[in-house]
Amino acid sequence: MMMEEIKTTIIDRIKLHFSDAVEKEFSYNRLDFSVKKETVPSILFYLKEEMGFKHLSHISCVDWLEEGEFEMIFILWSPEEKIKVFIHTRVDRSNPVMDNIDMIWRQANTYEREMKEMYGIQFTGLEAPEEFLLEDWNGPPPMRRDFDTEAYAAKTYWERPGREDALDVRETVEKRTGEVLPEFAKKYKR
Amino acid sequence: MSFDLKGTLKPLTALKQFGKKPHTLTNVPFIPREAADRYRGLHYNNLDECIGCGNCSTICQNQAIDMIPVDGIEGKNGDSGLRPRVDHGRCCWCGLCVDVCPTGSLSLTKDYVYVSEDADSFLWTPGVDNPEGDERVSFFSTKETSLNDLGRIPMPELEGMERIKSFAEVVLGYNEEQARAEASRCISCGLCTEACPEHMHIPEYINAIAGGNDEDAVRIIYDNNPLPEMCGKVCTRRCEDICAIAHRGDPIAIRWLKRYATETVENADLLKEIINPEIKEPNGFKVGIIGAGPSGLTAAYYLALKGFDCTIYEANSKAGGMTMYGIPRYRFPEDSLDKQIEYIQKIGVRIHFNTKVGKDISFVEVYHNYDAVFMGVGFPKPWTLGIEGEELHGSIQAVNFLYEINNGKKIDIGDKVIVIGGGNVAIDAARVSARLGADVTILYRRRVQDMPADWEEIEGAEAEGIHIISQAIPIQFHGDEKRHITTVEYLKAEMEPDEHGGRPKPIAIEGSNTVIEVTAVLGAIGQQGDYSFLEEEFDKKVKIERGRIVVNEKQETTLNKLFAGGDSANRTADAISAIADGYRAVKGIEELLMKGK
Amino acid sequence: MREKATTLYIGPQHPGITGNMMVRLKVEGDTIVKAATEVGYLHRSFEKLIEKRNWLQSFTLLCRFCVPEPDPVEESYARAVEMIEGREVPERAKYIRVLVLELARIGSYLLWYGGQSGSLGLYTVGQWSVGDRNYILDLFEALTGARVYHMYIWPGGVRRDFPKGFEKKVIDTMDYLEKRLDDYDDLMFDNAIFKKRTKGVGIIDKEKAVEWGVVGPPLRGCGIRSDIRIDDPYEIYDKLDFIVPVEEGGDIWTRALVRRQEIRQSIRIIRQVIDNIPGGEYYNKVPNPQKWALPKGDAYARTEAVRGEVGMYLSSDGSINPRRAHFKGAAYVHAITLLEHLLVGENLADVAAIMNSLGTCPPEIER
Repeated sequence: MMMEEIKTTIIDRIKLHFSDAVEKEFSYNRLDFSVKKETVPSILFYLKEEMGFKHLSHISCVDWLEEGEFEMIFILWSPEEKIKVFIHTRVDRSNPVMDNIDMIWRQANTYEREMKEMYGIQFTGLEAPEEFLLEDWNGPPPMRRDFDTEAYAAKTYWERPGREDALDVRETVEKRTGEVLPEFAKKYKR
Repeated sequence: MSFDLKGTLKPLTALKQFGKKPHTLTNVPFIPREAADRYRGLHYNNLDECIGCGNCSTICQNQAIDMIPVDGIEGKNGDSGLRPRVDHGRCCWCGLCVDVCPTGSLSLTKDYVYVSEDADSFLWTPGVDNPEGDERVSFFSTKETSLNDLGRIPMPELEGMERIKSFAEVVLGYNEEQARAEASRCISCGLCTEACPEHMHIPEYINAIAGGNDEDAVRIIYDNNPLPEMCGKVCTRRCEDICAIAHRGDPIAIRWLKRYATETVENADLLKEIINPEIKEPNGFKVGIIGAGPSGLTAAYYLALKGFDCTIYEANSKAGGMTMYGIPRYRFPEDSLDKQIEYIQKIGVRIHFNTKVGKDISFVEVYHNYDAVFMGVGFPKPWTLGIEGEELHGSIQAVNFLYEINNGKKIDIGDKVIVIGGGNVAIDAARVSARLGADVTILYRRRVQDMPADWEEIEGAEAEGIHIISQAIPIQFHGDEKRHITTVEYLKAEMEPDEHGGRPKPIAIEGSNTVIEVTAVLGAIGQQGDYSFLEEEFDKKVKIERGRIVVNEKQETTLNKLFAGGDSANRTADAISAIADGYRAVKGIEELLMKGK
Repeated sequence: MREKATTLYIGPQHPGITGNMMVRLKVEGDTIVKAATEVGYLHRSFEKLIEKRNWLQSFTLLCRFCVPEPDPVEESYARAVEMIEGREVPERAKYIRVLVLELARIGSYLLWYGGQSGSLGLYTVGQWSVGDRNYILDLFEALTGARVYHMYIWPGGVRRDFPKGFEKKVIDTMDYLEKRLDDYDDLMFDNAIFKKRTKGVGIIDKEKAVEWGVVGPPLRGCGIRSDIRIDDPYEIYDKLDFIVPVEEGGDIWTRALVRRQEIRQSIRIIRQVIDNIPGGEYYNKVPNPQKWALPKGDAYARTEAVRGEVGMYLSSDGSINPRRAHFKGAAYVHAITLLEHLLVGENLADVAAIMNSLGTCPPEIER
């Protein structure tokens, strides 16, 4: 079947079974659906069992700090139809809870362990050891955008001395010419 | 399991390797391996070509590069004086610093061995610590591989021969998309601020435009320049000559971006709202300013912000000085300054137009009525050519010609015009004459490359069909019985190099007399000041040397409480230098009047 | 009651594994009853670092995601950026990228030869293959300027064009390697001990393979034809003529056979690239890196590396820094959930061999 027909079929079937799915088409072999987080386990199961998307490529998470939400993305691939489907969902950042889906794909267990450790998302029913990549870490989930790694490094580690004589090019020229840069312009410096 | 004979014997064939030559390096004799031609090894920097812009330091994603002062390298215009030092404990040899270097001075060499027990010795300065690295350069950047955006967004302009049909403005201005794209080319090194006489905050307002914050850009520009639309149209743009990107590509269009920023504000009310300046309470001091040219207007604006009561006396009916009355309308339309003048008046500056000091009001009166006086009187008088026939009808001074045309007068120059001179005034006069329908030729005594005019103007003139005869020295004008000019006679010249390294001298060739038919001649060989308004004893108290008013670094003249700036006081004679003079005078006046407060 | 099982650790230091990771094993006698992978020795938080760098600076961190074969990571990043922005890559650049990818593939397979046979006690192969891999590293040095961390494929194309005489060097190296493959066959594949140790060990169930997330040579060794280069072609793979080898069986032996045949296919691809490479531009230049912002959007670019599917998920919020760069390596699945499942019931002596055959690569798991 042509890629257009495949996409139309998928969109029709998904929208029939899942009323809250919002689709987005792309020019290449990709189709996006945005759903509520409660729909995620059932739509993933449906795509895997009934529509042939047997291969789970990737699960990722993006921190939209300004909007107060985490976005979770599930990327599926159908070896038969040769098309990718992305499932997007949003989770409230102040209380991030998602359903565990490792009974659909066993490897989701690993992705969820990482999301839990790096973003602090709780997956109900997830059975896994406490630590994954980090060891003895008792700070905030580090991949969150409000965790500033530079500030943490400056606080925790000391700078190796020897580079204090570094100068700023713009300031050097300013000093030489007597130019006085107003405060409100300083945020536009390099 | 069955015995696998093949599988037992086949592996034994590996023994044949004993008979082969080893293909790894032999140990005796040991020959160090030479790296490939493109190897990314330790850094080398050509200290003479490096301009210390710091772009390498910015792009380094390991923050491994510091800019430090180096013994023996002084900062100057176009060179910050700093040089990169690499921390080889952090460097990952990605070579981005090389690809992003605007001059191509930074490169990577074939050397990759560096062994030391002292960890601090891994901080070293390429070029200083390895001067022999010059011969080992292997990974370098060229114009093609450079990561700098070398091509400028072209400015939409009217076509060459289309232009001369009217006085419509030739340059059309950037739209938003073009301005943002052009502003994104800037690497924000800040070397241009040193070349600008007024030291405008160039990288900051360019970054504001690139980020879409046009209002912030206007505020930053107005911090030390109240006439950005003037500069945005006619500045001599020394900043662009020194721009780091200009080393291998087109400089950032700083002038056009300044013009774009001011054009985003529609009227003076909005301008005042955006800038929202802090105007101090009146401090009781009054300052009188002679001349509403760039220097006078700048001084008035910043003095008014500091609480001084400012009054400007302008002889003409519009403000702007030489820019309004000397620059043709196709470069500088009549309404170009309206917004800025209105805004300056809105913050409390009074301008008396059509009031000439020395005629409508005496200098003595001005001097005594004000606590300080600033003179921005310009160079209005043209030099005479000093050749026979100069007084014939049709022999006109270009400065006067441009003044009359800008005032709307009609001047009949006929259809064959010669302009004598090679500066901006000559080119302006030539292009105006072309628009009045004449066939124009410029006579200049040196070569085209020696012409002091702006190269963009020279190109514009050639695109409009104006001919240039270089190395031509006019010696006489001939007239008819009605005393009207008919021909110009000139001698060809050969160039003799100047032993002091200055511009080569034109030496007239005997007997090479050539005659051209003309209907008018415009002379544009330079201008001088007119200080006739200084009456009586002031004439002696104000020191004037070689036609210029003598001022110190605070723009003070030799007469107490009298300050001066602009063409009459400086040698660079362009609008931005006049603005810089006005700005400096503000400090001088403030110190004089407010000391002890 | 006496415990029958005891806990043993493979790693983080172990000559049989390909990096720093640990597998905690519960063994009864010689048989493994439970396995748990523990990673975390190589976490360098690259993804967080990338969020602080702009789109071009980030590409210098990527090659460190996987040491034996850094190029697929660079390529998937570049392609994801191009997908978000809609940037066209010149034809010549695509050919050069394929050349680099295939050379990296051969180099990585040669290293794998050493690892797989070394895990079974056959150390000679490793000596040969590292020496042969050096010729490929020489090619990389001439083309990109560095032997291991190339930093050569970036968004918009590649960094520099071929140096003079490069095509001939490549063909000469390919000729040499083709002859050498027979030597490897004799020593490693036609080897009774190798066959006895690898046949029937570490079997992956064909029915469950795709569901378990198996990709790359392990999947092809199960009898399932799956290769991103033909299923979801990228660069110019759809114009090239090559076979994807598939073997039935699902044990270490069939995986080794698949890899062995793929080397020959890679050599074939490289010869085609050198013959057909067009002239033209090699780089579609990006704007000033300090101010280059991508439009809002996201993309996922997959590449077929030696271990299987590697992919880069990029999300842009319209600024000059990436909002999220999330790399997925094949070993993320193979080394954790798959390995833990496969090792149950296997012999302790075979653990290293199974890990090598799955292509576990700890830097890629942990980034």
